[in-house]
Amino acid sequence: MIKKFFYNISSGNPKALFMPCFAAFIEGICKIVPAALIFDVINTIYVSFAEPVTPLNTSRLWTTAAILIGWMGVQYAASNFAYSQTFTAAYNASASGRISLADHLRKLSLGFLGSRDPGDLTTMMLGDYTTVETTISHHVPQMVSAIAFPILAFLALAYINLQMAIAMFIALPFSLLIVWLSVGLQSRLGKSHVKAKVDSASRLQEYLLGMREIKAHNLSGVRFQRLQEAFARLRRESIRMEGIIGSVMMVAIAVMRAGLTLMIFMGAFLLAGGELTLPVFLIFLLLGTRVFEPMTMVLVNYAEIRYSVLSAERIMQIRHEQPLSGNQGVPEGNNIEFKNVSFAYENTDVLKDVSFSLPARSITALVGPSGSGKSTITRLIARFWDVGRGTIRLDGQDIKKMDPEKLLFQICMVFQDVYLFKDTIRNNIKVGKMSASQEEIEWAAKQARCHDFIMKLPLGYDTQVGEGGCTLSGGEKQRISIARALLKDAPIVLLDEATSSLDPENENLVQQAINALVENKTVVIIAHRLKTIRGADKIIVLDNGRIVEQGVHEELLRKEGMYNRLWNLQQQSAGWSMKSS
Amino acid sequence: MENTLKMKKKNGISRLLEISGEKRGLLILSGILSIISTFLMFVPFVATYFIVQELLRNAANPTLSNMDLIRHWGIMAFLSLIGSLLFLYGSTMLSHISAFRVLYNLRIRLAEHLAKLPMGYHTRQSSGAIKKTLELSVEKIEGFIAHQLPDFVGAVALPVVMLAGMFILDWRMALTCAIPILGAYLLQSLVFYGKGGTEAIKQYHNALEQMNAAGVEYVRGMPAVKVFGLTVGSFLNFHNSIVGYRDWAVNYTKFCRRPYIVFITILSSLLAFILPIGILILSGQPENLAFALTLMLFLVLAPGVSSPMMKLMYLGGNMRLISEGVNRIDQIFEQKPLVEPVNPKKPDRYDVKFDNVSFSYENLSEATRTEALSQISFTAKEKEITALVGPSGSGKSTIANLIPRFWDVSSGSIWIGGVDVREIGTEKLMDLVSFVFQDVHLFYDTIEENIRMGHANASHEKVVEAAKAACCHEFIERLPQGYQTKIGEGGTYLSGGEAQRVAIARAILKDSPILVLDEATAFADPENEVKIQEGLSALIKGKTVIIIAHRLSSIREANQILVVDEGHLVESGKHEELLKQNGLYHHMWEAHIDARAWLLSKNRKTMGVV
Repeated sequence: MIKKFFYNISSGNPKALFMPCFAAFIEGICKIVPAALIFDVINTIYVSFAEPVTPLNTSRLWTTAAILIGWMGVQYAASNFAYSQTFTAAYNASASGRISLADHLRKLSLGFLGSRDPGDLTTMMLGDYTTVETTISHHVPQMVSAIAFPILAFLALAYINLQMAIAMFIALPFSLLIVWLSVGLQSRLGKSHVKAKVDSASRLQEYLLGMREIKAHNLSGVRFQRLQEAFARLRRESIRMEGIIGSVMMVAIAVMRAGLTLMIFMGAFLLAGGELTLPVFLIFLLLGTRVFEPMTMVLVNYAEIRYSVLSAERIMQIRHEQPLSGNQGVPEGNNIEFKNVSFAYENTDVLKDVSFSLPARSITALVGPSGSGKSTITRLIARFWDVGRGTIRLDGQDIKKMDPEKLLFQICMVFQDVYLFKDTIRNNIKVGKMSASQEEIEWAAKQARCHDFIMKLPLGYDTQVGEGGCTLSGGEKQRISIARALLKDAPIVLLDEATSSLDPENENLVQQAINALVENKTVVIIAHRLKTIRGADKIIVLDNGRIVEQGVHEELLRKEGMYNRLWNLQQQSAGWSMKSS
Repeated sequence: MENTLKMKKKNGISRLLEISGEKRGLLILSGILSIISTFLMFVPFVATYFIVQELLRNAANPTLSNMDLIRHWGIMAFLSLIGSLLFLYGSTMLSHISAFRVLYNLRIRLAEHLAKLPMGYHTRQSSGAIKKTLELSVEKIEGFIAHQLPDFVGAVALPVVMLAGMFILDWRMALTCAIPILGAYLLQSLVFYGKGGTEAIKQYHNALEQMNAAGVEYVRGMPAVKVFGLTVGSFLNFHNSIVGYRDWAVNYTKFCRRPYIVFITILSSLLAFILPIGILILSGQPENLAFALTLMLFLVLAPGVSSPMMKLMYLGGNMRLISEGVNRIDQIFEQKPLVEPVNPKKPDRYDVKFDNVSFSYENLSEATRTEALSQISFTAKEKEITALVGPSGSGKSTIANLIPRFWDVSSGSIWIGGVDVREIGTEKLMDLVSFVFQDVHLFYDTIEENIRMGHANASHEKVVEAAKAACCHEFIERLPQGYQTKIGEGGTYLSGGEAQRVAIARAILKDSPILVLDEATAFADPENEVKIQEGLSALIKGKTVIIIAHRLSSIREANQILVVDEGHLVESGKHEELLKQNGLYHHMWEAHIDARAWLLSKNRKTMGVV
């Protein structure tokens, strides 16, 4: 349990905590020394009054003063040591942690990455890591340093007078019990607080994204009310959490600190009975006023650390996600075979016992209603996920055994969602082949029919693209992604035909670009408009995760099955024109 | 220049209270409670003082000490501790309540303000950036008001109280205590508020922003990184920014190292200053019991001064972060909302007329292309279909967006039934015009509510009727909870085509006389396409329709086709007339026919395409 706790807060590297804690502990001990010395001073002064025969031992006092002054140097050194061990180490640790997490993410399957909210992953790598960083650099060492003093004080005091020491610390277990008992309450309140927080964040997102709709439907009122309710609930939850947890903590602290009073009573009682000498009582008094401050700090830090564990757990969860297996190379041939492939995504069967084969350099079209499993087939070929049952073979070999990165190297994908980097157009095309020369880039751009629009941009190929490609239209992005694919020149092409209709005005250009891309490749195309693929070597018709028909266009039309029905529907809609009544 | 501007405006906390409309009352009360709590916190020390005094007076024979007095101070110490905690609790509660109220008001006001801004602002600003400001900057503020402000008051009050008490007891000793503290502070502020400190904070923001931007790009671009087997490129960028941030942090810690450690060492070594002076005085008058007591008290109390002062250390930096956050929030408030008419007018006809309309985006440096309109004039007649046609980026969407005043025209005017749209008032205008956009946004709500958006108090029957007309009744019935199915959160997502049909149902329910519509069935699969077309046909009956057309075949029967190119109206007329003109429309029509005949092929030579 404790091991797991430390494992988590250090996000998998508990050893990183050792040196900072050690240094902080040393620093904590160094802070105790002056307090101990001061006891000697007080004792010396006290003795001169208690026993009138003894004069004030000034030389002893001067020696102590000298040690105290000298101790400043030691303390400086100790703080210096603690400083470099905590701050510097924490930043180094979190930087290398971030990098290794980023590396790990890169190895995870595309399916996994696609199923996670990118905002969430980013938060993890940035925000959650910062929380962990602060825990390592601040909270844990502070807690260790703060805990050193009470522990040493207790040991020393117990040695001097056990009864008094017990009186002083007897309330502590009760205080800890209160904190421990409130953990459940805390996490319950914490959870509903987090829920309110997430809720108001998504309401806000919805409000911002739906702004046009809100304006257009005069809904500022209604939508706004929902947002307002979410904000109000967050306010209420926040106050509730703060109020309840705060009061519990206050009670715990009050109970803990009651030890001082108990100790004073016990002292007075023992003094009166002559069982306690005054200097000893004085030590207890002096330490008693000081020892509870760091203990309060421990409680507060403990709460902070508990909170950061949530962040660390999120990080660990990703860390434990296994990358895809396989390390073999990829064979020469490009024929693909599905053999009894079944695949379920989050308990929903998407493909059921699907078998077919795609010869090298052929065009295969996948047809079927939305949700029939068309895109799953293309994604399984690229190993976004691994199949549930059955095998996918490339040139006769199971793709599960291949290095996923090497496999991807054989594949070009042109899907609807294109991501462009915040970089120049040139570098964005170059992504397809890092070593490409300017001639090659322009060749690809011309083939993909994007050279002309690029030349119209303010800086041509050196024009910066906004984040995610947001400064270009859908069709323009699409053509750039085709240019990338052309440069990559991989033997297998996975393609979504709808990409051509993202930009209806330039449909023609995109179509020409796709034609350039598929030349002499093994092509799998997700088809929407059946006219486009009527010349395909093979058409596979899917419904509900099963293959219902396959063959060439004419055969399928004759069968009068699903393909025939879809074809007729499309013939009917193609000639549609709007009419005013 | 920039500085003088800032001088006039309030900033930091006062500006924050101003924006959020929060009164200072709660915060002041919280501060007072915090000070009282601090005073009470001081009592145990006083109690110790009196107990030690009593014991010392009877040092020769401790049993003679007044036990009642000792017990009295023991109880006082405990009671004041309880009191101090209660006041502290009260103080933090008040400050938290105040903080959460500030946050709430701030969020609400920002959201309200955002809805009044022209659409142009929302298109230009990514929603992520606005969200970040609303969430992050606002949250930093919470921590500051709720925790640091009362801490600050306490941290200032306690040393002041203690030092005051010390001066009353013995000014020489108090001075020995005060000088190193002040010295430590002076050093601290010299370093952190000097040029180096300001520069460092700025660099901090830069490094952090860079890392954030690169991180977002890294994660979002990951599929591309993997598919193209990139090992450098974007990954290197993120790697560099992480290292950059670390280097900044390490440099900054190096920069802070000396002053920080000196500060800490001085504050925790106050005894080393007090003791020599104390011995000096005491050895001059070894019989002086009163001074001996005072000295002991100082030795006990002095270290207690330092711990609250440590809290002050982070205050300056956080203050700066808050100012930065408030500035960002202010940037949103500075955006000017649309001007509303004083006396809204109501048109009684529903033709839409563009009169010499020109438009350009205000901020050219932010626009990546100069999409603008110049001198557009046309009339879309009542109960007729007007289609806008043109290459992408020609300005046809801009024309449609000007009608509901998502932007305002730069010159010229737009009239509905003889009334300038700027005279109608946003609310009325939105009642007159319905939209069906290409990218439909559905809210995390039930399907029924999503359709009802069109007409807030429509009955369930009316909603179903509209859904049937829009051909979405069938698929809604198939959903787990029918019309009550929540979209989004429960995992129910509609396909592009289904969402389109919900949007059409909305518009049918709204039944406004003017309809602006983006003909985009591009994403639909073959089965849905027919249904969307049926829905649209139901929708446009008897309305003034302005349609942004992408596929020319679907608007060839429109009453009027306007051809837009590079912001100019180049041709207009009916399909057959335009075809005869042999201009842009003619070319587009031919390209369109070609695209429809596209046949995917390995060998381009067999293609019938130009």
